[in-house]
Amino acid sequence: MKQLRLSKTIIIMMIRDRIAYPGRLIVDTFGIAARCGVLLILYWYIFNVKGGEINGVTFQITSWSMFLYFAFMTLRLRDLASSIMQDIKSGTVEILLSKPVHYLSYRVWWQFGAGLYPFFVAAILGTVALTFLVGIPATMSSSFFFLSLVGVFILSSILSLLIYAAVGLLSFWIEDIKPLYWIVDKAVMILGGSYLPVALFPPLMYKIAIWSPFGASQFITHTVYETWKQSYLEMFGIQLTWIFILGFIVTVMFSRAHKKVSVNGG
Amino acid sequence: MKKIVEINNLSKSFSFTVKNKSAGFLRNLFSPESRTVEAVKNVSLKINEGERIAFIGPNGAGKSTTIKMLTGILYPTEGSVSVLGLDPTKDRKKLAYQIGTVFGQRSQLFPNLPLTDSFEFFGVMYDLSKSEIQERTNELVSLFDLSSFMDQPVRKLSLGQRMRAEIAASLIHKPKIIFLDEPTIGLDVVAKKALRELLIKINKEEKTTIFLTSHDVGDIESLCERTVIINHGSVVADMATSELGKTFVHEKYIDLLLEEKMSNYPELPEGIKYSEKQGDKITLSVDLRKHSVSDALQKVLPFFAVLDIDVYNVDLETVIREMYEATKA
Repeated sequence: MKQLRLSKTIIIMMIRDRIAYPGRLIVDTFGIAARCGVLLILYWYIFNVKGGEINGVTFQITSWSMFLYFAFMTLRLRDLASSIMQDIKSGTVEILLSKPVHYLSYRVWWQFGAGLYPFFVAAILGTVALTFLVGIPATMSSSFFFLSLVGVFILSSILSLLIYAAVGLLSFWIEDIKPLYWIVDKAVMILGGSYLPVALFPPLMYKIAIWSPFGASQFITHTVYETWKQSYLEMFGIQLTWIFILGFIVTVMFSRAHKKVSVNGG
Repeated sequence: MKKIVEINNLSKSFSFTVKNKSAGFLRNLFSPESRTVEAVKNVSLKINEGERIAFIGPNGAGKSTTIKMLTGILYPTEGSVSVLGLDPTKDRKKLAYQIGTVFGQRSQLFPNLPLTDSFEFFGVMYDLSKSEIQERTNELVSLFDLSSFMDQPVRKLSLGQRMRAEIAASLIHKPKIIFLDEPTIGLDVVAKKALRELLIKINKEEKTTIFLTSHDVGDIESLCERTVIINHGSVVADMATSELGKTFVHEKYIDLLLEEKMSNYPELPEGIKYSEKQGDKITLSVDLRKHSVSDALQKVLPFFAVLDIDVYNVDLETVIREMYEATKA
């Protein structure tokens, strides 16, 4: 109960914090819209050249799949790794370790809260814009889509947080995790379908995208495909398996990480 | 009096890798040389409830490392720590409910939000009910005189206002002991004085034990009745602050105001030396192990035509500086 109240308060504080800085939200939304927009224009051209369909996928489906990726990105769960690294480098970790909270759980809720407001703004604006621009595909107009979207959103969020928590916790040992973070982040971006929608992947790469934790953390992009109804149980299973494995790794890492704390500057 | 902190033979070492210049890249990568630094060595200490204690030492002496072991942030390499009957490494969260911490160089407040939000947040963190948070916030606002800037974003506050707010926020749960790591760093003299007075008030009114590290002699002199000095990781002195000068400095100063300016200064007996020469005013330092003050005066007065004499002790800053230098490795 206490944990629930604290988590709720962290989220509320972070939403208030983000609202206090509307300029940052505008810049973030513009950045996402620009990146997503450029890719959509490119794909619109390619799909037109190819006669409107590639690998049995239409431009409309591709647009929504990519939009879901970018909307999910606005949650900025990836920033968990750099937040942990900053805590270690700046010594802020000592403040949190002197409070009656579980450091990692505090940071996770903090990160989630920090991204929630921009996520809702980007998701709502993007949905409205895309509905007008490309329309809503048939795969998105069922209650199954919405229910499974909620499920995959929760599992993708947990998996993303675990991946980036594992990377972030490494900074208790090696302090500067930027090179590793860069590799993991790019793996998530590529295998998650930010540059190329997963439906257009060659077979081997598609398998890697499905079975690796990096691709699995972005299964939200699969929900608009026609194959989703047949594959969603398998994909939930893959996500749950990775959550279990990474959850165990992160728990072990954190229990050892605290003993490694050596706050910079004293 | 009840003991609330007991430290026995506490040690902490840090290991880190260093580049071996004579070894190649691969050897440095896979088999790096490691070095160990002993930040704290066999520190033993007992603190009673309600004490105001200064824990001082030069940079790198081990003060902050000790505080961090007392609050459960760092794990000791050896020795035992008990704070309020709890082991900080095993009962970190339980202990956190009963202690407060302020790290002068780091903020715990939300920079973009008003102070009210930070108070609310810490209240929830310490599991206080809504009405308890409100009541305690009102108490702290009045005690620390925060009302004029409670609704301002923290980043808009002056350093003095922010430090008052930091300390107030760390007291939201009425801790039994508060650890302050350089709380007056960067503050002007007025803000420092106000903060010291507040800390004394809290100590008296709420019986909060104060454990403070500082490089500011004013903090130690005006706030702490007991001083523990640490250097190179070991305790070199632990006594009443008022006793420090008497125990460690065997020196007194004598100011002589002369009838006329001097250009040739006579040689002085052994144990008495010129500390300052300013024409018609000279300052002599007397080694008390060699001369008493009256003996020194009898010996030096025949050399000078004197208008006025002033005898005084060295200030605490000099005492501490001399102690740091005496315990240099």
